[in-house]
Amino acid sequence: MRVARSKTPWIFAAVISLPLLGFSQQQTTPPANPAATADQSKEAKPKPPEEDGIPVTSDVVRQACGSCHKSDEKKRMTRISARRTTPEGWQETIRRMVSLNGVQLDPETARQVLRYLANNHGLAPEEALPAAFEVEKQSIDYHYSDKDTENTCHSCHSMGRVISQRRTKSDWELLVAMHRGYYPLSDFQAFRRFGPPQTTPGPDGRPPDNRHPMDKAIANLSGAFPLITPEWSAWSANMRPARITGTWAIAGTQPGKGAIFGTMTIRAKDGADDEFITSTKLTSARSGETASREGKVIVYTGFQWRGRSTRAASNQASPDQEGLREVMFIDRNMQSIKGRWYTGAYDEMGLEVEMTRIGAGPVVLGMDHPTLATGGSGTYTIFGANLPANVAAGDIDFGAGVKVARLVSATPSEIKVELNIAGDAKIGYRDLFVSGVVKERGAVVFDKVDEIRVKPQAGMARLGGANFPKQFQQFEVIAYNYGPDGKPDTKDDLELGPMTKVTWSVEEYAATYGDDDIKYVGTIDQNGLFTPNVDGPNPQRPRNANNVGDVWVVAVLTRTGKDKDGKDLPPLRARAHLLVTVPLYMRWDTPEVEGGK
Amino acid sequence: MKHLKPINSKARKIAPPDDVVALSQGPAPQSGPHIPLGCTFIFSPGWETDSSGGTAGLCTPVERDLFDCHNGCFWPAQVPDQLNHAPDWTGKCASAQKDWRKIDLIFP
Ligand code: HEC
Ligand code: HEC
Repeated sequence: MRVARSKTPWIFAAVISLPLLGFSQQQTTPPANPAATADQSKEAKPKPPEEDGIPVTSDVVRQACGSCHKSDEKKRMTRISARRTTPEGWQETIRRMVSLNGVQLDPETARQVLRYLANNHGLAPEEALPAAFEVEKQSIDYHYSDKDTENTCHSCHSMGRVISQRRTKSDWELLVAMHRGYYPLSDFQAFRRFGPPQTTPGPDGRPPDNRHPMDKAIANLSGAFPLITPEWSAWSANMRPARITGTWAIAGTQPGKGAIFGTMTIRAKDGADDEFITSTKLTSARSGETASREGKVIVYTGFQWRGRSTRAASNQASPDQEGLREVMFIDRNMQSIKGRWYTGAYDEMGLEVEMTRIGAGPVVLGMDHPTLATGGSGTYTIFGANLPANVAAGDIDFGAGVKVARLVSATPSEIKVELNIAGDAKIGYRDLFVSGVVKERGAVVFDKVDEIRVKPQAGMARLGGANFPKQFQQFEVIAYNYGPDGKPDTKDDLELGPMTKVTWSVEEYAATYGDDDIKYVGTIDQNGLFTPNVDGPNPQRPRNANNVGDVWVVAVLTRTGKDKDGKDLPPLRARAHLLVTVPLYMRWDTPEVEGGK
Repeated sequence: MKHLKPINSKARKIAPPDDVVALSQGPAPQSGPHIPLGCTFIFSPGWETDSSGGTAGLCTPVERDLFDCHNGCFWPAQVPDQLNHAPDWTGKCASAQKDWRKIDLIFP
């Protein structure tokens, strides 16, 4: 794989402020004045922001950015005072100041600018959480409430980039002007309406809305995401360094691996109240595999956790040498922290994590196999933290019909028990009690698997391996029981969680006549991991096509047991759509927020 | 025209206003976007899929499209654009379809 950081093409710095203005002579909607942006001319007095702005009190920022971004008497700087966003959002802008606007910043100053702006021009928890998918790099199906705005703004990048911003109206205008300036084609692609204006009234009898898409978007966004909000006023007044040192219990799920349990010890970094050092122990519940990790974290705005951890030294050959990146959100009460840890060339491999503070008492986290089949028996492991040393079989309670036959072993983090599940045990979720401490819905009693579904329902992989890296797609099968009523899709259905003993295959999704994508796209293993084929033109395919394609991913679960009439239960089948597509030739990544690169 | 002014000093030295104006004009509005030969013009949902959500309508192969994307800045978030982030991106190859192994992954 070839990788290059872009050289600073400073020659183009000249261009940016110009198209923004050049356009105003021909356009119906004059772009707002980007001179307010960075006008150095003597006669143009710094324009005081006509709307509210956040004063910039950091000397570092004032010095690093002040040559172009002028201040008014209230220390409000053009552009900078008119915007709030995530650490990633700030980093992206700082990066552009360097790559396209010719700003020179040493790494230490850049870090200080980032931290000041992310903290003081940041987001409140209520504002950051709806956009968490963007920074957690989740590939979810997000739909923004306003269709027109979505159509205008999501063709090139995710709406997450948009909804994680708060700006004054004029700064929303300047943002659009920035796009039009750097990327002149964006007018045709998204921002302007071409063709004659509509004249026929809409179905409601009102005259047609002939505004340009960008103007509609600006109107919508400046209403929905203004600079000053009650949420931010409240949070910025109440904000304080996160007090999170201590020990935390971890419960996570990793597609393809299942439940992960463990503990993390958080220590303060010397001399800092927003930086921490972490030591983590993890156990994969299903396989028993363990790992130790060491990490570093910066907490922004009192709640936004950005960290990176690597496997402890002995394990250098591990696949995540680059480390797992951690994006989490600390709850307001500082008792829980939630988010995603991820890795992979496209951030596609990851786990969902929830951490809870461990006090003096025991915590029950979950089980290796929380699905208890009626009439079955076996050894099960219960995971937790601070579990009592002197626990007895009688202290463990799954409710009626589930007998704890024997205590096999007990440590503070794992208790092994032998369970007998009665043939007539009532099916349903069971709360799991250990010495008086509960894990709600810690287990589920079921008689048979009635249905399986593949998750995700729509997957995506990218070709790679020759010149660019591959993007993998992990699938898993989630099993369901129809509940006591035996009917599908009713409230009493029981989710049994991921199933491992399934057979995976790929089938053609006939999109064109004689479709043969399946021969080229790649392969799926018996753990549901799809590995795409190599990038580059394939001379074996018509028109030298890439190995792209769309296919079905099919899972089959063979069941044992009989139905009511004494017949063998037939196998269950489920499928998902998989798109295998081209690489990205450009990555908008911001490892700086974790203190890296 | 006072705003037609390079904003950093280096740029001021090297960029006579005329060049800059030419660049600032962009393509003529009515001509529509430049669609590379062999590509279906589908902008939404995007780079990864055609309008049906599949791959049959994508540019075939994508490498054939790269120079056009690069020069015209058609996919500014997916393909490094010549105008801004990667002026020399395809400098090492005469044709992306032949020399695609020589192009770099760009972190802007
Ligand atoms: C050499 C001049 C220059 C310096 C120094 C400079 N900027 Fe800028 N800045 C610009 C120009 C030109 C624009 C408008 C075009 C753009 O958005 O890239 C801009 C735009 C911005 C914007 C609006 C971006 C958006 O998303 O709409 C922000 C925020 C910003 N700058 C922050 C900073 C910060 C923080 C610093 C200090 C690290 C800084 N700038 C230093 C020239 C400069
Ligand atoms: C033609 C493709 C395209 C469309 C359409 C588009 N964007 Fe962008 N957007 C980009 C690219 C490319 C960047 C990165 C700019 C850079 O740093 O060079 C970007 C960056 C951004 C940023 C980050 C700005 C910063 O300072 O780093 C925001 C916010 C944003 N876009 C919002 C929007 C909104 C709002 C819309 C709809 C009105 C929109 N985008 C439509 C391509 C697009």
